[in-house]
Amino acid sequence: MARSLTGTRIRERRRGKNLSQTELARQVGISSSYLNLIEHNRRGIAGKTLLAIAENLGVDARSLSEGADRAHVMQLREAAANVPAAGAEIDRLEEFIGRFPGWARLIDDFQSQSKFQNETLLALSDRLNHDPFFAEAIHMMVSNITAIHSTAGILSEGDAVPPDMRRMFLDNLAAESARLAKTASDLIGHFDTPEQPEQLGTRSSAVDRFFETHGFYLAALEQGDAGVDDLLEGAGPLSDFDRADLTSALTGYRDMARALPLDRFLDRCRDLAFDPLRLAMEYSAPLETVFRRLAHLPAAEDLPEFGFLKVDGSGGVLFRKQLTTLNLPKFSSGCPLWPVYRCFGQPGQPVRAMMNTPTGEGFLTFSVAKQHPVNEFGLPPSLTASMIFTTDFAAFLPKAERQTLARLDVGLHCTVCPRLECSARRSGYILG
Amino acid sequence: MSKKVLLIEDEPQIVAALRFLLQREGLSVFDHGDGQDATQKINAVNPDLVILDVMLPGRSGMQILQDLRDDKRTQELPVLMLTAKGQRKDREAAENAGASMFMTKPFANEEILRNVKALLNR
Repeated sequence: MARSLTGTRIRERRRGKNLSQTELARQVGISSSYLNLIEHNRRGIAGKTLLAIAENLGVDARSLSEGADRAHVMQLREAAANVPAAGAEIDRLEEFIGRFPGWARLIDDFQSQSKFQNETLLALSDRLNHDPFFAEAIHMMVSNITAIHSTAGILSEGDAVPPDMRRMFLDNLAAESARLAKTASDLIGHFDTPEQPEQLGTRSSAVDRFFETHGFYLAALEQGDAGVDDLLEGAGPLSDFDRADLTSALTGYRDMARALPLDRFLDRCRDLAFDPLRLAMEYSAPLETVFRRLAHLPAAEDLPEFGFLKVDGSGGVLFRKQLTTLNLPKFSSGCPLWPVYRCFGQPGQPVRAMMNTPTGEGFLTFSVAKQHPVNEFGLPPSLTASMIFTTDFAAFLPKAERQTLARLDVGLHCTVCPRLECSARRSGYILG
Repeated sequence: MSKKVLLIEDEPQIVAALRFLLQREGLSVFDHGDGQDATQKINAVNPDLVILDVMLPGRSGMQILQDLRDDKRTQELPVLMLTAKGQRKDREAAENAGASMFMTKPFANEEILRNVKALLNR
């Protein structure tokens, strides 16, 4: 299935550049008939030929190759499954992505925004149903309105109400109106969430948006060319909540970068095969700090790309860095089989495992759960867990060593996970 | 002798308005703003009708109603329940607990007066 996507993409990119098949074949050094077979998905393609084609088309080889868009494909499959009446041709999905990449990205973005809005609605609905402030505020407002309604009814009778009583009811009316206005204002403040998706693509919090925009690597902050305040200023208008959130994230980043300066860290990474535990021991740094360092590396051909997920004990997502091959949840939790959730059972114990998703991707993962101090006797410590993961492990982890690692067959969101018999399943599969 | 109505409601402005409306109808009006000792107040006043708010500080109107229905002296006492919650399940809960009538806030003055008269004339 994926092979067809590669060939179709090559054809579409070539056409987009107004290159003839003969011309591209000549540039790459293969026969035009062979290129024709590739473009019509009758021959697989990899290695030097793929790299040469990518180079001549001016695109990243990974954008042409198999598996690079698994998350993209899943996203579009979900979009199609959500509107079955549309009769989207799922069997031709990869051809569609190859032929119309812009439209495919647009649908992907719509689907992401739809999911974000659904999750927001669920979060709001949950809040409305269980929020004690909201319940109390509504009760107060109904009481205020009842008093105002009843008092206004009496006053509207005019001279039938004695002057002294009229004075008292007018005072009551003023007092109740003021209370109602105050309660309404408090209620609006309570639900004031400036963090809204303003346009397609802005689907997450200010911190997420900031780090996504900067590719999760802040060179200026690392090199001392800019401080936290400078970056905040460049982040555009922020609500007080977002500003505090982003300040905390940037301060944490700065401290991490100071503790583990990049150049030397990269040297040690290469020597220690990007093993976070050995790096943590060498630097006498917490393992989670090393995780963060690995998640905030510059993009480079010779460096593995690590995704990052930090959650609390309820599964709430505290920070995430997604990879194109794995969508991470924002408001809900992911698959309970992921090692990041499993390691809650043994706080402090680092876990290294290969994680295999139903889409065929394999991830090298490192996870650890951490206890946080409490400020009250009798309270249990709160827990957070962090996981870094990468598909770029072949370059630094020999196959023999890989094969000794625990292999975990995990899922995605239950709704899109085809492991139907999974005992951890909590909702139905919508893509069947 | 005028009939006695006891208002058990913690919102003073609502009490003021209802007191005015009911007194104008020739009724004797008493009030109490706390759920904790509401049953003692009812026994002390011995009213012909209780207007009882569901959400009260100290003790809920539903619990107070339950006490009234468990006591032989007040088993038949007309009770008009007032609540900010207008959902069907709240109405059913009030009726199951033995409320004579159930009204949802906010209400119109004419409506509550009509219901009070109906309950007093039963």
